[in-house]
Amino acid sequence: MSAIDDLNAELAKLPGIGRKTATRLTYHLLKQPKPTVERLASTLRTLAEKVHPCQKCGNMSESVLCPFCVDPRRDDTSFCVVEESSDIDAIEKAGEFRGRYHVLGGRLSPLDGIGPEDLAIDALKHRVEQVDATVEVIVATNPSMEGEATATYLSGVLKTTGALVTRIALGLPVGGDLQYADAVTIGQAMAARRKMPE
Amino acid sequence: MTLVTTPAIVLHSYRYGETSKIVRLLTLDLGLQSVVAKGAMRPKSKFGASLEAHSEGAAHIYVKPDRELNTLGEFEVNQLRRELAGNVERFALAGVLAELVIKFSSSEPHPQLYVYLHSRLNQLCGSTGEQLVVDGILSLWGMIRELGYAPALTECAADGRPVSEGDAPFSVKDGGFLCDDCALGRRLSMVPAADRRFIGHAIEDTLEGIPVFEENTAAAHRRLLSRFIHYHLAEGRELKALDYWEALN
Ligand SMILES: [Zn+2]
Ligand SMILES: [Zn+2]
Repeated sequence: MSAIDDLNAELAKLPGIGRKTATRLTYHLLKQPKPTVERLASTLRTLAEKVHPCQKCGNMSESVLCPFCVDPRRDDTSFCVVEESSDIDAIEKAGEFRGRYHVLGGRLSPLDGIGPEDLAIDALKHRVEQVDATVEVIVATNPSMEGEATATYLSGVLKTTGALVTRIALGLPVGGDLQYADAVTIGQAMAARRKMPE
Repeated sequence: MTLVTTPAIVLHSYRYGETSKIVRLLTLDLGLQSVVAKGAMRPKSKFGASLEAHSEGAAHIYVKPDRELNTLGEFEVNQLRRELAGNVERFALAGVLAELVIKFSSSEPHPQLYVYLHSRLNQLCGSTGEQLVVDGILSLWGMIRELGYAPALTECAADGRPVSEGDAPFSVKDGGFLCDDCALGRRLSMVPAADRRFIGHAIEDTLEGIPVFEENTAAAHRRLLSRFIHYHLAEGRELKALDYWEALN
């Protein structure tokens, strides 16, 4: 394998990039000045070395705890549960939520073999149990069938903690993806959240 | 290329490229199909929520001969079945039914399989508690029958001789109940007469009324089903949704 083939193969593994696009990107990079390419390489290296899941919430962070977990102004009695780190950005932009986050790392999907033990659900329960006050857990998983089923599951698991479990309201396009929704829609959905059925 | 419009049930879908989805459909007229729904991940896609698992409607499919992956032009949904997500067991069962269809049916039209999946998903939507436990076991034996793998019930699975009434030994390997001679000296699970009758009704679709299972009876049924499916249908291959369902209980 040549260096060109190697890069093609690596790029083609990225979501949304096929063989053709990978080849085009490789040749584009070959035409760039050397420092530009080296900057990209070192950025990737830094990314791999420095960014890890936050030890508390699972959000991607450059420090042991992410900024949302260390910010003393945020509300400790309110948790917002999301599927992926990238969903946090979308919710932050809406500016409606001021509590703590919890990243599950996916959603229940029987056909993909993703069960409760593959998600950070025990960690969530543990965090909720450690708060010495009434807690609200806002489940902001995607409004898909799997996201909805995950919300149902969480509601069951958290029952023993006494937390109030709410679900963000639709208004979000069903079948859609949180990271693609606009801030206004997410803001409204957050404001109109409902209590999960027991 | 021909445009075919057919009733279809979404079995599974996953992201394809940046904005599209690949959707596995069970269709009435074209059997099992893989279609690409272009742009389905865009926020304002014409597909909207219609391609969620277990939803049903009219699929407009552009079919090219000898192509594995056809193109979905449109999907007019008439049932979303969101109720399936409202209960963990229901959601898992719907997943197992979809998985069995994906893995063990083909693009040969199989109208009876379609009608069966349609009616079982509708049934599961409103099923709770003890009824859901029974509905689940019933649905899976029924699906095994529709896919053509029904176990031997009254004739010995090994030599075809009649199996005596009452409790009877079940051999997963032989594919059903065994007569006393064939079971001699083998370590097999004995299925009590009542459960044997239940399996018979489930396979022949003749159950009237819903029996109430003890917790360990339900567990025994689930184990038997899972072993049977793994052995005869999957031949050792992985069945993620089935394992997920079994682990839930
Ligand atoms: Zn954090
Ligand atoms: Zn025999």
